[in-house]
Amino acid sequence: MIRQVRVAQSGMAGDQMSNAMILLIVLGLGAVGYFLGRRRALAKVGGDPRGLHSLPRYYGANVAMNAVVPALVLLVGWLIIQPIVINSAVSGMIPESAVSEGSSISLLMSDVRRVADGLDAAVSQGVMTEAEALRLDEDAVKEALAGVGVALGADVTAETLAAAQRYREMAGTGNVLKAIVIIGAALIGFAVAFGRTTPDFRARNVVERGVMMVLIAAASIAILTTLGIVLSLIFNTVEFFRLYPASQFFFSLSWNPSFSGRGGGSELGILPLLWGTLYISFIALLVAVPIGLFAAIYLSEYASKSVRSVAKPLLELLAGIPTIVYGLFALLTVGPLLVQVFGDDGALGVDWMQGGTAVMTAGLVMGIMLIPFVSSLSDDIINAVPQAMRDGSLGLGATHSETVRQVILPAALPGIVGAILLAASRAIGETMIVVLGAGAAARLSMNPFDAMTTVTAKIVSQLTGDSDFASPEALVAFALGISLFVITLGLNVIAMMIVRKYREQYE
Amino acid sequence: MEDMIQMDRAMSTQQDIKIRANGVQVYYGENHAIKDVSVEIQDKTVTAFIGPSGCGKSTFLRCINRMNDTIDICRVTGDIRIDDEDIYDPRVDPVQLRAKVGMVFQKPNPFPKSIYDNVAYGPKIHGLAASKADLDEIVEKALRRGAIWDEVKDRLHAPGTGLSGGQQQRLCIARAIATEPEVLLMDEPCSALDPIATAQVEELIDELRQNYSVVIVTHSMQQAARVSQRTAFFHLGNLVEYADTDKIFTNPEDPRTESYISGRIG
Repeated sequence: MIRQVRVAQSGMAGDQMSNAMILLIVLGLGAVGYFLGRRRALAKVGGDPRGLHSLPRYYGANVAMNAVVPALVLLVGWLIIQPIVINSAVSGMIPESAVSEGSSISLLMSDVRRVADGLDAAVSQGVMTEAEALRLDEDAVKEALAGVGVALGADVTAETLAAAQRYREMAGTGNVLKAIVIIGAALIGFAVAFGRTTPDFRARNVVERGVMMVLIAAASIAILTTLGIVLSLIFNTVEFFRLYPASQFFFSLSWNPSFSGRGGGSELGILPLLWGTLYISFIALLVAVPIGLFAAIYLSEYASKSVRSVAKPLLELLAGIPTIVYGLFALLTVGPLLVQVFGDDGALGVDWMQGGTAVMTAGLVMGIMLIPFVSSLSDDIINAVPQAMRDGSLGLGATHSETVRQVILPAALPGIVGAILLAASRAIGETMIVVLGAGAAARLSMNPFDAMTTVTAKIVSQLTGDSDFASPEALVAFALGISLFVITLGLNVIAMMIVRKYREQYE
Repeated sequence: MEDMIQMDRAMSTQQDIKIRANGVQVYYGENHAIKDVSVEIQDKTVTAFIGPSGCGKSTFLRCINRMNDTIDICRVTGDIRIDDEDIYDPRVDPVQLRAKVGMVFQKPNPFPKSIYDNVAYGPKIHGLAASKADLDEIVEKALRRGAIWDEVKDRLHAPGTGLSGGQQQRLCIARAIATEPEVLLMDEPCSALDPIATAQVEELIDELRQNYSVVIVTHSMQQAARVSQRTAFFHLGNLVEYADTDKIFTNPEDPRTESYISGRIG
């Protein structure tokens, strides 16, 4: 079995090898292009680089760039578009009647892909020949594929098998075509650039433009990824609202999902979760803002250089601790400690706290996590207040703390508010500490010693385990996610606006 | 005109010594920035410190209100007395001293507050005003003395940073005199200003002389000649020559002073 799995993987690797081969060939062409372009430029002026418009290496880089970049762009585009094209062509083949009750075309398509992959694997490891694979009938498929380590759930219907064969055929043609087109593009780019390599050609300017394009591409990938994430959230959220009323989601006061299969309707109101999120974040900020701000004031205004050089990295070390470790700290140390004080037999004898997991536990620990965040940002902002402000205030006979309170903090205030809002958006998005420290009960309570839960923690619990991605119980995670995203985005935008306004003041 | 200057001179020489410095040494870490400077600064007089960049004139100025205390690596020895009181005596609170010895800086540095609050800052922290009306009066008086009242009286609650450079500097001077100092230190107060604003500030300095002992550091010899009665020439941390301004500029004793004012060094 293990051997078979490994072979199956190597079959898939074989498919990827062709992409890797194309990539290698293109890069090889680029490398060759660099040296040939350089040599040709030098040869044209008899080996004297002073006769060239640009340095010889720019001519080489120009050829390499023209060979590699368009081909790579084409390759990426092809890899994205080919599966889409094949999918739509093949799914058109499957008749409406073949889609059984309780299933969907997309489920069927994943079956088709599995069969196709399995056949590919079987051929590539020599269990059957290509001709045998084409002649295989639907009864033998399941058995044959089990032999190469691909387990199929349902029986393979004739339609599925036909679709799978068509899928394989199209993918095969596509792959051959892909190799030809991409290597061809590389060769054409190579030839064009090589032909243009003359002493008057402004290779340096062209390479400069190429560099700019690469930088633009890097920036757009980051932006497009964000866009993609947002779109996927939106589509799934729309799907969720088709299954579950939006008014219930936004205004219902209870969160009580029942998992499909066990029957019963779910109550999926966001308000209890949002309340937990905001309550915990509020306590976290109550801890982090004063401590972080005072630490920043000490570090930037009072500490000597040597203290600062030790204390600042130590404080920022807190930021490097993984949040799961903070979660453990909350669960094992802070929670029990709080119970000892506020619990039933606690030091105060108040019986406010039933168990170790509570809003207070998670809030305190999250506050500690945010201290370096607040202090490091505030420290930078306080340092950016011009020395002339301090001198002016001290020169008027103000003490150090009067100067801080009345001149430096007001001058730095917009920046500090920005830092706090950024910290708030981190608190809202924090997950691990909440999962371990706050409990799992969704409830609307004012008591900070009650267990509550947050939006993030519920996203985790809705999507982990045995969840059916078509049910509202799982899709609600996307609606929760986008709600959270909108909130933190709003906070970040406000923070950025405030910070920008502050920056303008001293320019 | 000549007579008036002569009268000024005669008056100034009669006046008391306000600041008396004796054997002042300043070190920045290993760097010996001020070497054994002794100087006597008269009351109700404008005293100019001139000299090439890095000669220590600003450093010496900052010794007089102990602003050098705010720099960690700076060490001051020697004796500086204001009204015969040793300002480096441990019993002297540098914070109180700075209220008595006001300072105006090179670049206008209004606080990011309103014009009113800028001027009221010093009186507030030193508790000089008993009531709001009192404070209003102090602010108005300071702004009038700073020769900026007419320009800002209608917008006292607008931010001080919104004024022009020359106005900002006069606001800073008004802010410094709002705490009723006895000495006013000015560290190149016109170097960031245009000629018109400079002329206004110079005129103001001349008026301030009636009430304060003014010490001004300047890079411009013309400015020193225009506004001061006494001039001290610093070179490489030494006080080279200290005399009446017209003597320094017409008949200097030291060859280094002569080289500097005629433009050969510096």
